[in-house]
Amino acid sequence: MNDTITALRIAVPDTASTAGPVKIDIRDLDFYYGKSHALRDVSMAIPANSVTAIIGPSGCGKSTLLRTINRIYELYPDQYAAGSIAIDGRNILDRRYALSDLRRLVGMVFQKPTPFASSIRSNVAFGLSYYERLSRSEIDDRVEAALRQAALWDEVKDKLSHSALGLSGGQQQRLCIARTIAVRPQILLLDEATSALDPISTAKIEELIHELREQFTIVIVTHNMQQAARVSQHTAFFHLGELVEFGKTSEIFTNPHEQRTRDYITGRFG
Amino acid sequence: MQQSREHTLKAFDEDLDQLRRLIIEMGGHAERSIREAMRCLIEQDLDGAARVVDADRMLDALDLETENRAVEIIALRAPMAGDLRDVVAALKISAVVERIGDYGKNIARRVPLLEDVGDIEPVSVLVEMARMATNMVHDVLLAFVERDAAGAQEVCRRDQAVDDFYDSVFRTLLTFMMENPQNIGHCAHLLFVAKNLERVGDHATNIAEMVFYAATGERLVEQPPKRRKERRRS
Amino acid sequence: MAIPLRRRAADIAAFAFATFATAFGLVWLMWILWTTLIEGAKALTPALFMEMTPPPGSVGGLLNAFYGSAVMIFLGLIIGAPIGVAAGTFLAEQGRYSRLAAVVSFINDILLSAPSIVLGLFVYELVVRPSGHFSGYAGALALAMILLPVVVRTTDEALRLVPNQMREAAFALGMPRWRVTSQILYKSAMSAILTGILLGVARIAGETAPLLFTALNNQFWSANLNAPLANVPVVIFQYAMSPYDEWHELAWAGAFVLTLFVLLLNLLVRFLARRGASK
Repeated sequence: MNDTITALRIAVPDTASTAGPVKIDIRDLDFYYGKSHALRDVSMAIPANSVTAIIGPSGCGKSTLLRTINRIYELYPDQYAAGSIAIDGRNILDRRYALSDLRRLVGMVFQKPTPFASSIRSNVAFGLSYYERLSRSEIDDRVEAALRQAALWDEVKDKLSHSALGLSGGQQQRLCIARTIAVRPQILLLDEATSALDPISTAKIEELIHELREQFTIVIVTHNMQQAARVSQHTAFFHLGELVEFGKTSEIFTNPHEQRTRDYITGRFG
Repeated sequence: MQQSREHTLKAFDEDLDQLRRLIIEMGGHAERSIREAMRCLIEQDLDGAARVVDADRMLDALDLETENRAVEIIALRAPMAGDLRDVVAALKISAVVERIGDYGKNIARRVPLLEDVGDIEPVSVLVEMARMATNMVHDVLLAFVERDAAGAQEVCRRDQAVDDFYDSVFRTLLTFMMENPQNIGHCAHLLFVAKNLERVGDHATNIAEMVFYAATGERLVEQPPKRRKERRRS
Repeated sequence: MAIPLRRRAADIAAFAFATFATAFGLVWLMWILWTTLIEGAKALTPALFMEMTPPPGSVGGLLNAFYGSAVMIFLGLIIGAPIGVAAGTFLAEQGRYSRLAAVVSFINDILLSAPSIVLGLFVYELVVRPSGHFSGYAGALALAMILLPVVVRTTDEALRLVPNQMREAAFALGMPRWRVTSQILYKSAMSAILTGILLGVARIAGETAPLLFTALNNQFWSANLNAPLANVPVVIFQYAMSPYDEWHELAWAGAFVLTLFVLLLNLLVRFLARRGASK
């Protein structure tokens, strides 16, 4: 019995100390790119309505983990996952869980801003018309609401019919965020969403993340430790496909338990 | 608890080493200040005492420099975890060491006021107190540089002996004053000197707590209440 | 700092060679245009576009040939382009992981470099012989078959150029595949796909050999696609080989118009490409 407890504690070190209910419960997750074993036996409980950051050196599996949560890896036949990821109690890795349901629940923003080649309005409304039957004015309202939430409304309200490609990088990324939250998901996945942006745009988006966490469960992957420290309440450190340590951000950055974590965040890696 | 290896950025290691060197330098300075002051007290070396008072300025300058270095490291290196705790500890320790140096200065200031004091018996005890207290300072700063949590804890335990010395000196001087009222003036000064030395021990204990936290990230458990307080009630 | 003489000499030599090569290529183009212009100048009159192909020894125009060519090119386009775009989309979206797609791609490459006369012969066997007569339909079919692999290839490339992250972003919103393709990918790749189609059209505009076996030619005005249909390349072929001067002039004029048409199409393509890139 004691061994089990010890083993559990190693696998899920600080979950007991995380506040609030669990939104995404990852258990024994393994992931493979063909023969390559990219994620090893990962178990992690991501709390609801807060920001969880995933940090680690390149190739440690952090983006891979994110991509399992919305099963975007299924676009590529040689990638597959084993284990379970439960969102609100239902295992989303199960084949029977409809992809469109999942992707309505979980939104994702990528590193490179990907505005579609159409107007700003139609970018934001893109998902809306697929999921819901809405009148024209309802769509406009939802577009405005999403753009306001993404702190972009004031900058684009006079040019909603202009091409989205005319926006600056930071604006495009906020547009992608608006597009993602317009369909009202519950979970937001941000995969290095500010890596390609300048510091001011980055700061605006970090502020946005801070405001959004009241409403969404947010998981961000970042190679910038300072960003993880600024923005998240919980942080997970990955190395070589394993979850090394998971805990409150304030603890991870002032007094981490694992030596590998210590080495990474104090710049002693490599 | 040792850090396993060096930073990828070597300059960061150099910055931290420099900070530690400053602390050690300050510590040596403060120790010398107290011991010199005590020596001048015994030998009635007025010039020596004046030099001690003067030399305190150097310690103040070192404190300032340590503070500047620490702030710079925080701004430029964004230290995390153990490094951050080290830097914050260095900041706090330098202020405490500067206080210790001030005690040395205070003792030196009293030297001209204490002629013919060598006859008074408790003075030798004071010398022993000073030795113990300055050794505590020396050892605790070494523990800081080596991130030695156990060493810090050990220093804490030695404070009890310094406190006991103080109690004993207090009673002796009281008795002395009651017996020879013309010595009250001198004894009063000696009481202050004893108090200062006892405070040095306490400060060394404070530093030890900071060192422990810096090394482990945990707080040192509260020391049991001092026996002195029980004495006062009786 | 002085660049060593050897490097400068190499630099100048390479630049001179490149300039010479360009000039060399341009010279031929200019010469062709000039020659066709000069030789056909006499026949470059409004009559060219208003009168039919004349009997031997008299003057006339190429109206029925222009009409026939236009109709067959258009028909070939509406048969070949949609199939080509669909196939190209299949290859780009499924192509990475499917054996079938790899095979299709390979066959397409063969078709792309097949001699057009072979395709013409194929349509001859398939349509002309069983029906017993040449026809515009057969001609259009042959042109479609030449257009098809070009469009498949260019559509495939155009779609592959769309960054994967855009696909993933669309899928991450929960869109089904057909919607992602039609509403997102096509919008992004549209100018590139159109470019490919236009290039294909430029190619089939000048194809002669397949038409010889399928549409043949018609001296008179005819809008009947079920019968031999006049077209510019075959008319040029016929008239150039003839002993009549008036026919020669008409052939040159036809050649000039044809060359000009292809040139303008290419310029249009270039214009579209630049507009697509500047977005």
